[in-house]
Amino acid sequence: MHIMEGFLPWQWCLVWWIVALPCLMLGIYQLKRVLAADRDALPLLGVTGGFIFILSSLKLPSVTGSCSHPTGTGLSTISFGPWITAVVCAIVLLFQSLFLAHGGLSVLGANIVSMGIVGPLVGYGLYRLLRDTSVNIYITVFLVTALADMFTYITTSLELALAYPAESGGFVSSFILFLGIFAVTQIPLAIVEGIVLALVFKYIIALKPDILIRLKIFSEEKINAARNEI
Amino acid sequence: MKFKYTLEVLTVIAIVAFGAVFLYTSSTMSGAEFSGSDNVGSGLIAKLTGTPVENFKPLIPQWEPPSGEIESCLFAFQAMVGGILVGGVFGYWIGQKKKA
Repeated sequence: MHIMEGFLPWQWCLVWWIVALPCLMLGIYQLKRVLAADRDALPLLGVTGGFIFILSSLKLPSVTGSCSHPTGTGLSTISFGPWITAVVCAIVLLFQSLFLAHGGLSVLGANIVSMGIVGPLVGYGLYRLLRDTSVNIYITVFLVTALADMFTYITTSLELALAYPAESGGFVSSFILFLGIFAVTQIPLAIVEGIVLALVFKYIIALKPDILIRLKIFSEEKINAARNEI
Repeated sequence: MKFKYTLEVLTVIAIVAFGAVFLYTSSTMSGAEFSGSDNVGSGLIAKLTGTPVENFKPLIPQWEPPSGEIESCLFAFQAMVGGILVGGVFGYWIGQKKKA
């Protein structure tokens, strides 16, 4: 999902930085508040953030004959919401811009918006919809993770299509072309990522259900039901 | 007794299927380079604008890993940081649980 350094006109770089910065500030503020309120939130942040580090470093081959990487933002989105997730993503993306030439400082704003903000935000919306319904926790985690992953790549396509509308067909046909590259490649990856992170969530529930209940991530009844289910 | 490992089994199936699909596409699809979709995307930008890829210069000067080896080393480092975080916390939780 990285837009490469130099491949986005500076006007668009500026636009996405302006979108990303307030979200990051809100995320840092929330992070301070959450950690001050409950010391046990820090290990949970370590696990959920750790998966963003791991999964976003894995370049996996896909059916389109090109490689892409999962985002791993699902667990963090469910546990801490999209803004704190954006902060963790910003750290990963900054590392990749500085040392790996994946993305760059000028396009960092755009990359934060796609991986750290829009993807998690869509996932978080779905989580809020499903949280208080009878839908199984693991299915919720699966869907949120896969959706956050997919929407990250859809957003990248959108950012590029806005900057580079096709000569014939304009923005829409360009959007479809970019989706063909980014989103289609991502479908199998998003599915596998969803299943893997659902399994990880099972272990978090098994080891530390109390923190999930205290942070009101899922209700006590749902957590208890999930412990007995699978 | 109830079967408790449904998710584990599903995960293994998903990963094995993913690997199988890769083996199938890589052996049947001609011209599949398995390069990064980031680069394919940059290629499309070049096509849409009619400017060759080399003409896109970084807006902010950027350090590039001199070789694929160094790049993979740094990616492994990134995964290591994540692995330490995840393993460390799970270990801490297991310890807490045993003590309680």
